Amino acid sequence: MARDPRSQLPLTPVVLHILLALAEGERHGYAIAQDVEDATQGQVRMGPGTLYGSIQRMLTSALIEEAPARRRADDGEDDARRRYYRVTAYGRRVLELELERLNAIVRLARHKHLVGGARPA
Amino acid sequence: MTKHVSLFERAYRSALLIFPPAFRERFGDEMMEFARQRVRRERTRGKVPVALFAARTFADLARTAPGVWLSLILERDADASSPEQPRDNMDILRQDLRFAIRALARRPGFTIVAALTLALGIGANTAIFSVVDAVLIRPLPYPHADRLVMVNGVQGTQGGQGVSYADYVDWRRLNRSFDELGTLRGQSVNLTGGDAPDRLFGAFVSASFLRVMGPPMLRGRTFTDAETEVATAAPIAIVSDEAWQSHFGADPAMIGKTLVLNGTTFTVVGIMGPKQAITYGSIPDVMVPIAYYPNASGLARGTRGVSVIGRLKPGATIDAARRDLSAIEKQLADEFSATNAGTGAEVISLRETIVGSSRDQLSILLAAVAVVLLIACANVANLQLARGASRVRELSVRAALGAGRRRIAQQILTESIVLALVGGVLSVALASGLTKGVVALIGTQLPVDPATIGLDARVLGFALAISIATGILFGLPPALKAARAGLSDMLRTRTGTGHGHLVTRNVLVVVQLALSLALLAAAGLLTRSLIALQQVNPGFDGDRLLTAQFRLPPAKYDSPDKIATMFERTLAELRAIPGVESAALVRASPLSGNGETYPVTIEGRPAAKAGDAPQLQLNSTSPGYLSAMRIPLLAGREFAEADRAGSLPVVIVNRAFANASWPGESAIGKRIRIGDSTWRTIIAVAGDTKHFTLNETQLLQAYVPHAQRPQIFTSLVVRAKGDPLLLARPVREAIWRVDRDQPVWRFRSMEQDLSGSVASSKTTMWLTGLFALVALLVASVGIYGVLSYTMAQRTQEVGIRIALGADARQVIRMVIRDAMRVIAIAVLAGLAASFASAGLLRGSLYGVGPHDLGTFAVVTVVLSAVALAACYIPARRASRVDPMVALRAE
Repeated sequence: MARDPRSQLPLTPVVLHILLALAEGERHGYAIAQDVEDATQGQVRMGPGTLYGSIQRMLTSALIEEAPARRRADDGEDDARRRYYRVTAYGRRVLELELERLNAIVRLARHKHLVGGARPA
Repeated sequence: MTKHVSLFERAYRSALLIFPPAFRERFGDEMMEFARQRVRRERTRGKVPVALFAARTFADLARTAPGVWLSLILERDADASSPEQPRDNMDILRQDLRFAIRALARRPGFTIVAALTLALGIGANTAIFSVVDAVLIRPLPYPHADRLVMVNGVQGTQGGQGVSYADYVDWRRLNRSFDELGTLRGQSVNLTGGDAPDRLFGAFVSASFLRVMGPPMLRGRTFTDAETEVATAAPIAIVSDEAWQSHFGADPAMIGKTLVLNGTTFTVVGIMGPKQAITYGSIPDVMVPIAYYPNASGLARGTRGVSVIGRLKPGATIDAARRDLSAIEKQLADEFSATNAGTGAEVISLRETIVGSSRDQLSILLAAVAVVLLIACANVANLQLARGASRVRELSVRAALGAGRRRIAQQILTESIVLALVGGVLSVALASGLTKGVVALIGTQLPVDPATIGLDARVLGFALAISIATGILFGLPPALKAARAGLSDMLRTRTGTGHGHLVTRNVLVVVQLALSLALLAAAGLLTRSLIALQQVNPGFDGDRLLTAQFRLPPAKYDSPDKIATMFERTLAELRAIPGVESAALVRASPLSGNGETYPVTIEGRPAAKAGDAPQLQLNSTSPGYLSAMRIPLLAGREFAEADRAGSLPVVIVNRAFANASWPGESAIGKRIRIGDSTWRTIIAVAGDTKHFTLNETQLLQAYVPHAQRPQIFTSLVVRAKGDPLLLARPVREAIWRVDRDQPVWRFRSMEQDLSGSVASSKTTMWLTGLFALVALLVASVGIYGVLSYTMAQRTQEVGIRIALGADARQVIRMVIRDAMRVIAIAVLAGLAASFASAGLLRGSLYGVGPHDLGTFAVVTVVLSAVALAACYIPARRASRVDPMVALRAE
């Protein structure tokens, strides 16, 4: 399934946020949603269908994978029912490409003096 | 709080069922846990956020489930597209279905538009079919319904007449074609002895009638032959289940109870099972032996007032039965020439008698919805052709993987059928709403119980069948094309701009527009006839007029004097009611459905052969009827109190009869005989009125004074100063002041009867108009689509023209000119179709011919205008083509 990473672009906002959340380390589903909500100051709130629908698609296209089950001492709420997800190498590559793409767009906008950072003198 | 939470959890768990099972198995637990955590967090924020959160969660599930289904199907499909070869037919079908679903899911825009278009067509057909099925197709709910017939009398050349009871008795004795013949006379009966006098819907029947119709008995027994024959009759009655509940409080001891009906005491011997609509599709409240028919002469040989229903012997034909009875009738004519000369018998299937009148209306509606479906098919076929280019690419991949022509054709067909089935499923929701609407509109005009009309298994089967047929209809042409033309050909005409392609598309547009025009023309003709019908002058003034009916019990009013006195006192009481402007009695008020006609003889002229004499519609009235109805008196005087039994027999005739019989001469003073031996002197000529329906050809009419022709049944007409229906109660009480046991019924304003007489025309018009609008809309979308597509193909040409100096107006003109050619052909085809199908409408039109040029002109203009408007957007878009862009695309 190792398709050309570029064929995955552009990512939907939800997929992008999930990848960003998992880039920091493995998470279970609820923690992903929580992370995204915190990171975006509540701007992106995912319902269960959105979250697990996206996870399922991301598993299919091998952007993420399930981490092997284990007990984690640092999380008091840890629980055997939980599954943890992590980014694959392929997913990491896709994320990089997407961020580069977004960055290029922002640079273009800056160049045209559409966003802050380089006001016309 | 926990209660709310657990309630939420339960609802949430059920909501998860909308996801695919594989998905649920994998993520169900996690999703449950996710929700629990969220709830725990939300709970700290109070009740309202929890509710808000719940709403948001369910919305999220509903929104995302289809996507999950789709991605699972596509994923499975992606696996399946590996070189796995199908093993058997089921496998092929399964694979084709998967491909079809994938192909449709890939183009949600096309799929949604096509499925909705089809749903509209299939839904309208399903709804109308549910009514047609209930009325015209389902067998009547009686034993051996296919062998049940109605026998009518024939007078001269006029069929559809009543039968004389004495003739019926002889038919029953002498015929060789019937298992059984039964007779019935429906008439309301007065029920007294309760709190207030009541009127029941009665049926005077023979025991054999009950055997023919075979209603199951809830309790008790039916009648025996001896109990219903004149010589040996017993005063017994059967009540319907409905009347038992509504009038007698479902009294458990009903059998053996006595009822006073028309002044005679009857003993109840049976209760009929529920919903036994055995008298022309309606349920009688109470049945008693025919021998108790109240009119003294009602069962005499010369009185043709009963209905006869028979069950044919197995194998006997309707025609043989008619010949059989006509032969017997001829014998009787020899034997009783005074009463039976020129009479005969006709035999009609009972179904035809009951549902025949609805056939025209339903045929029109069925044709209208069929046209809508055809248009929808043409439209979807066009949409499919428009997808040609992308389709070919996809199919060529499949062909490259080894699929043969046949498989590809099969694939296209499967896809069309799947699409039609999606439309069919969507149509069910539409059909269920539409059926309710149609039943609400025309339910009361139909001869079946409206509760039996609905989406049952048969109707859903029909929807399924036409969905599949529809899919084949619009899928077969492209499928055949794919099968004929090999892949290389398809690739050569890659973009689908081949000349043949465009012709096909234009033909489809012509078909759509032509069918829309035909439907618009039908709606236009129906509208014009409704307008004509509403403008018919009934000959009287129906404003603020109240009508009602009552029938005196013959046992109590056993002499002409008693009847005349009762009527006089009633009239005085009615006229004394405050708020009454004028009042009169008339045997049959116009448009009430009642009325009788008799052959007329003019003094000094040779009597016409029996059956050929002109028929006069006769009414008995009190003095003041013409002025109360505001029927103009053209010559002579109205009836007066002095016109009574014993004085000179008088009659008032209408203008039609006076002009037909004494052209250019006064009719006053002439003498005529109307169905009996009395010579009556004409004392006045009145204006013509409509009596049975507004669209009848003018009847020859006559009025005689009640006092000179006393009858126990009469109607009353009261002109109110204000709202006529407010007078119902005072009128009832006025009659009770004369006879406190006298029931009065059918209080209606003349406005109700007038609008009731056009109700069925009105609903046919509205529904046909509605379907015509839908057709026009779908067809407009069709021409818009084709034109947009053609223009996109012609971008280069247009670009060159603009580069060479054509301005926007010229380009628009060029596009419109092309469209006009298509529209003109469609108009011609549509007009031809209208002319050809005019016969279907003829019976439903009034005051306008089926080939009315004015109507055709108007709908042609409307159709052309709408079609041109649909062309305008693509034309404008074409006019704005940037020549450089267009040319660079080369």
